[in-house]
Amino acid sequence: MLDLLVYLLCGGILASGLLAVRLKSLLAASVSAGLAGLFAAVCYVLLGAPDVAMTEASIGSGLSLLFFLYAMNRMGRSKD
Amino acid sequence: MANHILMAAAVLIFSGVGLGVLRLILGPTVIDRVAAIDMLTIICISTISLYALVADRFIYLDAALVYGVLSFLGVVAVARYLERGL
Repeated sequence: MLDLLVYLLCGGILASGLLAVRLKSLLAASVSAGLAGLFAAVCYVLLGAPDVAMTEASIGSGLSLLFFLYAMNRMGRSKD
Repeated sequence: MANHILMAAAVLIFSGVGLGVLRLILGPTVIDRVAAIDMLTIICISTISLYALVADRFIYLDAALVYGVLSFLGVVAVARYLERGL
């Protein structure tokens, strides 16, 4: 059962990475790039490293999304 | 009995991840995708909690707690950006 869950999470990482490359909207692309980090953090928990997962979830997914939003706001919302 | 309940929870998590990724791919607007990502975050929290129960290591619940706080923060930031700029 655990192997199946890890495979499913790896499929989620692949899907969100492809979406982050392919999506036209900048906001949706950056949010789905954060989702890839979130799935990776769940994989870290399943592999037995909860502290790495906490750091990945807080910095890789939360703070980088905030920085992306701040940069897009400074860049102007012409193309959204 | 408890094993059956855990298996039912795992099946629900599997189907929830599938439906959430489907909405993330198909979603026509940005708001649909943000809602799908919020739902997937909550499913991740439930996955970690289920694994903490299965593996009998309750230190993993701290990671789930951090996930909950960050999910709220991220969705609030995105909503504020969509409304009038960060």
